[in-house]
Amino acid sequence: MIYALTVPGPIEDVQEVRVLEWHGVAGQVFAVGELVVELETDKALVEVRAGQPGVLRSVLCGEGDWQALGRPLAILSDTAEEPLPTDTGDLALMAVEFEVS
Amino acid sequence: MSAEPVAGTMKLFFREAIARALREEMQADARVILLGQDVGAFGGSYKEFARLQAQFGPARVRDTPVAEAAMVGLGVGAAAAGLRPLVSITYMDFLMLGLDPLVNYAAKARFKTGGQITVPLVVKTTAGARGQGVAHSQCLEAWMMGVPGLAVVAPSTPADAYGLLKAALRHDGPVLYVDHKRLFPTAGEVPLAETVLPLGRAATRRQGRDVTVVSHSFMTRVALEAAERLATEAISCEVIDLRSLAPLDLDTVASSAARTGALLTLEEGQLTCGIGAEIAFQVREQAGPIRTARVGAAPAPVSSNPVLEHAALPDAERVAAAVRRLLDAPPAERP
Repeated sequence: MIYALTVPGPIEDVQEVRVLEWHGVAGQVFAVGELVVELETDKALVEVRAGQPGVLRSVLCGEGDWQALGRPLAILSDTAEEPLPTDTGDLALMAVEFEVS
Repeated sequence: MSAEPVAGTMKLFFREAIARALREEMQADARVILLGQDVGAFGGSYKEFARLQAQFGPARVRDTPVAEAAMVGLGVGAAAAGLRPLVSITYMDFLMLGLDPLVNYAAKARFKTGGQITVPLVVKTTAGARGQGVAHSQCLEAWMMGVPGLAVVAPSTPADAYGLLKAALRHDGPVLYVDHKRLFPTAGEVPLAETVLPLGRAATRRQGRDVTVVSHSFMTRVALEAAERLATEAISCEVIDLRSLAPLDLDTVASSAARTGALLTLEEGQLTCGIGAEIAFQVREQAGPIRTARVGAAPAPVSSNPVLEHAALPDAERVAAAVRRLLDAPPAERP
């Protein structure tokens, strides 16, 4: 199955974030609890960890890019071989854990 | 990405626009120094001074004790002696403690000395309500607009924060620079090229035909939200962001109000002797009878209770309701 990793929330007063650092490249397998991406708000860092196992397939927002809460950052899948759909607008949501610090 | 990049600009958080202005001015001019509580290693209450002490050292980026009168007084003396200090007063409420050096010394020095002493001081502070109660929420800009010799600016966007702070740091008289707690979570496009925004120029944020809504700082965003709602009712609002309260760009406001025939002023501070009262009077002096209305805070301190805070302050719905009432009112009569 294919999933969209979106900007998690709610985060108080925050409407959009900036991607600070990806902790993997396309093809990388993430186990539950592994750090996938760090995001930046006006005053805090948001650590986004995998809430389910998955393979990072495509990064949609690179480091320095901005994205609104709830909008997609990357595409992941259960296995590395699954073909990616051309329309990524209606994907299941990747389960994540996130911490604002 | 949330939006396509805009050519020639870079999207920055509000705090980053402030830090960039300071960084550029401190690089360009060794006389520019920064004084304030937690401005050093901590980087400022909103991280708006992040990494400046690491770059410019503790002599030019100085942490001070909690002593606002002494902080502003130190800034006035340093400016009179040839430096170009920025003194950071964390919240505008605390500026009351520093008003004597700012009003009696900084703003008057040029007049008292026949121009022999100028005080190129910037006092930067943060106004506005965001859950912090009676003594950490006030918008006192109106108090400061009538001080001869003192410029007052209050940006609503990161680009204006950047451009106005640079202008303030180059200005040869004291400038009060006011930002707002609710602007810090915002981000916006800032020119890549070095840009200095002249003091005293308002910006038309939205063009309209039926009513002119004039505001500044965070309330500009509230005005724009109200204008969006009213557009669905076929009411066309022109929204002007003052940016600079002293000097005031009366021409931009008056010519817009003369064209639309109605003027609504919006501020987060008190209405009595407020910015709206001043602007409405000056517009009528210049442009003649125009229907006017004011929206501002309820005559009460701002509570830390969020329900009461919200009840005391303007929001888009109250602004929209005031515009509807204003446009339903009969045309203004010549006195």
